Amino acid sequence: MTATASQLDDLRRAIRESDPQLSRFDPLSRIICLDDFDRGMCGWTQLVGNYEDTLDAMLPGYAQHSHAMLSTLPNWDFGSHGGVDGSYALKIATRPKKGAQNVAIKRLTFRKPGPIRLEAYFTFKPEASELALSETDIRSFGFLYDLQIGDSSGPGDRVMPHLRFLNAEDGEHLQKWQFKRRTTPIKPIGTAGKTITHYHLSPDDWEDLPGGEQRLCYNEIPTKVNWHYLRFDFDLAAMQATRFQVNDRVFAMDGFDCVRIPAMKNLWCMLNLAFFAETDTDKRAFAYLDSVCLSGDF
Amino acid sequence: MLPENLTAVVARNESWTGESATEPYEAGWAKEAIVFVRALKEPEGALPKARVQISPDGIRWCDEGSEFDLPAAKDTVVFQRLSHFGNFLRIAATLPEGSEITLLVTFHLKA
Repeated sequence: MTATASQLDDLRRAIRESDPQLSRFDPLSRIICLDDFDRGMCGWTQLVGNYEDTLDAMLPGYAQHSHAMLSTLPNWDFGSHGGVDGSYALKIATRPKKGAQNVAIKRLTFRKPGPIRLEAYFTFKPEASELALSETDIRSFGFLYDLQIGDSSGPGDRVMPHLRFLNAEDGEHLQKWQFKRRTTPIKPIGTAGKTITHYHLSPDDWEDLPGGEQRLCYNEIPTKVNWHYLRFDFDLAAMQATRFQVNDRVFAMDGFDCVRIPAMKNLWCMLNLAFFAETDTDKRAFAYLDSVCLSGDF
Repeated sequence: MLPENLTAVVARNESWTGESATEPYEAGWAKEAIVFVRALKEPEGALPKARVQISPDGIRWCDEGSEFDLPAAKDTVVFQRLSHFGNFLRIAATLPEGSEITLLVTFHLKA
C-alpha cells in the first residue's frame, strides 16, 4: 500500500468511526448500501417465486412467502422493544406451520468482481403465543447471496452461498451454523421456454459448518431479544467465502461451499442478498434486521 | 426524505374457505391504508363481507368495524380505506360451507 493510499484509509476510518451510524460496522472501502430500517424498507422486498400464465405454477416454497414489515418489535407484555438505535427493524415473519419459511431480499448487480462484505445486526424470536421460553420453536435464521458472473467474464456459474443458524429441529436445540451446496432439480415453468425455477431453501441438503456450533444470547422469556452482529466476506472474483463472523466468533471457512448451478441467460452480474426465517413448530418465527451494511473493495 | 409509502402483498393466490384471514401485518408507521382485494379465480358460492381487524399483539384480534364486499367475479377489485388502526392489521372473512374465493390482498400504506 502506498503512503497516499494508507493516508486515505486512515482518513476514511476516522470519518466512519466518528459517525455513530457507521462506527458499528467495518465496511470495505466503498459502501454499496447502508440500510437502517428506521429510514423505511430500504429496497428490501419479498422473494416471489417464478411463474408463467398462472400463479399456480409457483413452487409451494415460494408461494408461502409474504412481505417483510417495519416493526418496533411490539410485545404483549412490555410493549415495543425497538432496534439497536431507533424504533424500527425489518421483520420477516413465517406462517404458523411447522417448516414454514419466509424471505426478504434486496436485488442489485455488481460493478467489480472483487471482495464484498455483508454486515448486519439481527435477532430472532418465535411469536410469544405461550407463556413458555419457546427457545426451540424457531428452526433457523439465515442469509444468502444469489450471484452470477458478468456476461463477458465467463465461463462461470450462478453461485448461491447460503448460511443458516440451525437453532432447533424437531424440538432439539442444536445451535449451529450450516451451509448448503445443493438445490432442488431445475424445473421449467410455463411453455415459453424462458423461465425455470428451483427451491434453494428446501429443508434438505444442509451441511454443518465445521466448528460452527455457537450458543447465541436468547434471553429468558419469549419476548426479550438481544441484537447480534454478523459479517460475511465473499470474493466475487473467486466466488468463494473468505470470512464469517457472528458476535465474538470467527469461523473457519475452509469447509464451506456454495450452491453452484449453470449461469442463466438473464442474470448477469446479479448481486442479490436475502435473509430468511424458518419455524420448527406451528408458531410464527420472526427474524429481525436492525440494519444491514453491504460494502465492496473497488 | 419523502414519507414512507409501501405496497405490501399480504396474500397472493390464497384460497379462502371457512374462517380465513390474512397474516398479521405491522404498519404502525402508517397513518393511512387502502386495502385492495382482487379475485384471481371465479369465486364459488355466497360470499360474506370481509372484515378489517386490529390487534394489540398480533395474536388477539378485534373487528375494527369496517366491512366490505369481497369481489364477486374473477379479476374484480374492491377496496377499503382505513386510518387510525394502531399497528397490527389484517383482513378476515367467514365463508359459508361450499363457498371459496382465491385472493390477492394488497395493503397500500402511507406515513
